[in-house]
Amino acid sequence: MKRSISAELLKLRHSRIGLVLAVLPVISLLIGCANYYVNQGVLQNGWYSLWTQVSLFYGEFFLPILIAICCSYICRLEHQNRNWNMVLSSPVTVASVYFTKLIVVSILILLAQALFMGLYWLAGTLFSLSDPFPLETIGWTLRGWYASISIAALQLGLSLRIRSFATPIGISLCAVFIGLGMYVVKAGVFFPFSLLTIGMSVLSQDKLTNAQNILFWLMNMAFIIIFATMSIRRLKNKDIVTS
Amino acid sequence: MIKILGLEYFKIRRKKIWTMIILFLVVEMLWAFMSISRSIAGNPDQAVWESVFFSISSMNGLFMPIISAIVVSRICDMEHKGATWKMLVATNVSRSHLYAAKYICANSLLLYGILAQGALMIVFGLIKDFPGALPIELLSRFIGGSLLTTLAVTALQQWISMAIKNQAFALCLGMLGGFIGMTAGLFPDAVRHIFIWSYYLDLSPVTYLYAEPSGSYMVQLVSPGIVVAALIMTILFYIAGSIHVTRQEI
Repeated sequence: MKRSISAELLKLRHSRIGLVLAVLPVISLLIGCANYYVNQGVLQNGWYSLWTQVSLFYGEFFLPILIAICCSYICRLEHQNRNWNMVLSSPVTVASVYFTKLIVVSILILLAQALFMGLYWLAGTLFSLSDPFPLETIGWTLRGWYASISIAALQLGLSLRIRSFATPIGISLCAVFIGLGMYVVKAGVFFPFSLLTIGMSVLSQDKLTNAQNILFWLMNMAFIIIFATMSIRRLKNKDIVTS
Repeated sequence: MIKILGLEYFKIRRKKIWTMIILFLVVEMLWAFMSISRSIAGNPDQAVWESVFFSISSMNGLFMPIISAIVVSRICDMEHKGATWKMLVATNVSRSHLYAAKYICANSLLLYGILAQGALMIVFGLIKDFPGALPIELLSRFIGGSLLTTLAVTALQQWISMAIKNQAFALCLGMLGGFIGMTAGLFPDAVRHIFIWSYYLDLSPVTYLYAEPSGSYMVQLVSPGIVVAALIMTILFYIAGSIHVTRQEI
């Protein structure tokens, strides 16, 4: 497994995917900060108000699409040059191929989350917010990352199946809106994209109750297992189309 | 030229791009229609044709840049993936013609999407029984404005999709465009007009005047300056992209 992960990381070398990972958190943070600066009169809850501004677009729209881009990219290499034939004939199990890709995408998203968190702290410091830094935002970021893994499990399944780079990204855009709808009708725990909204406390900063918290972790775990099982079964049983 | 264009359509015949566009737009329209229905339920004065034009224009700010990025990327990426660029340029066809054919193909697909949007908007308005006759003028201005903005956006996307093999950058640009398009209303005019993605809202036939306790929709006049700026950007992005890609080593 370790060697598979290092092989995946090797494939990402020189891809400049880091640039894509960095641009989106930076831009969403800049616009969020500009909005916060302009509306400081209304937004008086310090760090929490800043969080509502910077995390809204990032957590709601751009993180899911960023996950889709990472998943598409990591599968694109296999869809090219008949690489699937090579990968599936190597002495590595199909499950290992899938989980390696999932772990690498998770690492990439964790980096994006860490960058976002660092920028949030920097922005708050530059705004000279008087309150101490709210440590619970780190928890929100980690919860968001955990929810991202279930989205990544779904997107990875789509990207393994669909040879087009862009189509799974479009699907994720649609899923974002479905997720938003599910969140509004209070059925967010049943859809991975709404779980991200809940996890990152994007639309509501109310503390989750213990039961909600447990449900959040369990549902994400369930989604990861379901999507991973489906994708691995498909990879095992279906013919791979190469070109 | 017609033959090259025909071949572009032939290449994408099984890619189901038409269906994909419609599916994405259906999600957008459903979301917009639900939000309009909710606002009408809260304030019956909002049951006017203008509401649907404004809502779809503002949603287009987010959706169209990403849909354009996806469509253009799919049309260009098939050549990268199949390593067919060398084959294409070895034929007796100039690269600029190939570039133009792909551009026309992508925009015709997106025009079909915009027309479908127009049709769905009319159906929604008729179902909701909005007062007044069919607003043909607003509809044609909506189609014209959306198409003009899309022409510039696809010119930029095609440049990136063709010049950089890694489509993550093109999609990232599309996403950034969507982000700017969605938040365009927050920027001051001078800043907003620099970004082409905000033109979906600027060239919309309807604007919304925010006022306490509730705002109102207002038909906005066509601004010749904005139209000229969009045209200049289209020409600039297209020519720059065409020259760059034509001279690039494969």
